[in-house]
Amino acid sequence: MNKIFRNKTAIILFAGPALILFTVVLFIPICTSIYYSFCEYSTATRSYSFIGLKNFTDLAKDPVMHTALKNSLFFLVFSCVSQLIMGLVLAGLLTNINKGRNVFKNIIYLPCVLSSAALGLLWMFIFSEKLGINNLLKAIGIKGPLWMSDIKGFIILPMWVIAFVALWQYVGQSMMLYMAQISGIDKSLYEASYIDGCSKLQAFRYITLPLIKPMVGTAMSLNAIGSLKFFDLIFNMTDENALNHELDVLATHLYRQAFKFTKYGYASAIGVVLIILCLIATLVINKLFKVDEYER
Amino acid sequence: MNENKKKTSPVTVLIYVFFCLMSVLYLAPIIWVMLSSLKTRKELIKAPFAFPTDFQWENYTFAWTKGKLGVAMGNSFIVCVVTLLLTMLIGSMAAFAIGKMKWKLANASMTYILIGMMIPVHCVLIPLFVRFAKVGLSNSLIGIIIPYLTFSLPVTIFIMAGFFRSIPNELFESACIDGCSIYKMFFSIALPLSRTGLFVTGLMTFVNNWNELLLAMVFISDDMKKTLPVSLSKFVGPYQTNYAQMFAAIVIAIIPTIIVYSAFSNQIVDGLTQGAVKG
Repeated sequence: MNKIFRNKTAIILFAGPALILFTVVLFIPICTSIYYSFCEYSTATRSYSFIGLKNFTDLAKDPVMHTALKNSLFFLVFSCVSQLIMGLVLAGLLTNINKGRNVFKNIIYLPCVLSSAALGLLWMFIFSEKLGINNLLKAIGIKGPLWMSDIKGFIILPMWVIAFVALWQYVGQSMMLYMAQISGIDKSLYEASYIDGCSKLQAFRYITLPLIKPMVGTAMSLNAIGSLKFFDLIFNMTDENALNHELDVLATHLYRQAFKFTKYGYASAIGVVLIILCLIATLVINKLFKVDEYER
Repeated sequence: MNENKKKTSPVTVLIYVFFCLMSVLYLAPIIWVMLSSLKTRKELIKAPFAFPTDFQWENYTFAWTKGKLGVAMGNSFIVCVVTLLLTMLIGSMAAFAIGKMKWKLANASMTYILIGMMIPVHCVLIPLFVRFAKVGLSNSLIGIIIPYLTFSLPVTIFIMAGFFRSIPNELFESACIDGCSIYKMFFSIALPLSRTGLFVTGLMTFVNNWNELLLAMVFISDDMKKTLPVSLSKFVGPYQTNYAQMFAAIVIAIIPTIIVYSAFSNQIVDGLTQGAVKG
């Protein structure tokens, strides 16, 4: 029995393809990418010349990079906080109703499976000046703001709009994760608490919340990495030339530097910053929500 | 009979009201785009929220042919199905080797693969683009299938390895006594018993790749080879003026997913959630 599971040929045949693909398409490119970030690419000779940390010092001075970093961090914080609150509220309320629970759940989850490219375009029209929401507001006598082109303030209005759309699209996932965890909690815990005179809110605060804490960590790291990778919505909701890069995030900045201006080295440096941010975010969240597994 | 029924409390009513409002917030934009796509341009500008007076199906024909969305949907379908099949095969094979078979580097391989789940696609975009251009894989469907496949593997391997581990060893032992080879064990015992896992991972793979924009946009420049999100983003832009046709394009892009979702929503939601928990 053991012998058949130690069959070397079979192991190589089974694990080989995946490991080779992984190394060639993921691991080597990551290393190359890190190497590129210390290089300058010349389009004339199609070669890379080593320039040390210059890309990174340039990044530190680049005003577009500052905006992109600010916007990306805004999305990171906003999506972590808003998804946590809205996800918990929706999950907590949904577990309290029986009829129609599945219908509401499925409706709220729907945008998660739709293409964010298409949804981004859809919301771009809703917030555009000619059609959409401003027409509705006009009908009741309010002059709506210029949703996608107002650039006042530290975090400009379009960023809030896009962050709202992202919340709208992905809150279903957080909601489902919390619901899955809540339905795994032993019902007798609640019964015992009601006998002791606990209200539903208290039960939620003192039983549900502590018991779903591990899931909060999981959901939040998913949100964090997702919001740092954020590309489709921004790319499709904004007009890339109009606003002087006020609406850039790291991903769009990287895309433009690499594939519009062929500055591969500089763009790779942005990529390295992105990886580092992902790592930091995951580490911090894991540290914050690290709990011993409760007995369920 | 009715006495036993609990009275609905005002709180419950409030919850229902809240969720009805949420449903409006979720469905209204989608219904709006569907209605708008059937109007003429003039109608749309004059009364954006009115019901269309006369259904303009030409908008769809225009988007399907001139916007090349028909071709794009075919491409997306080919790419997603091929990626799906390859991911399931290669991923579950690797998962079997890692989860069930005994070799020194099994755990190390697992960690190596799990690191891949952390890496955002943007970071390997440039090296892959450069390399693929050199070997002639840029601007071809194979050129995006390979990265899609690689990025779908970690989750697949992780979830499938869990499923294979949960199969009791006795099953394999008795098969072994009956003279079953390791390959037959994999294909006729392990795989059929992990159907749920295959469904969950397959679903995640398909949905993610069907919606992927960035990589496809960078790698493919030929209009006839573009995938759906790319062609859509190109067709619908701030510089175009015929809104109704663009709305039709958006509807074409999302309607297949909506139909499939309406038919299997419970399985899809549960499957994707399961996948996210384990991944």
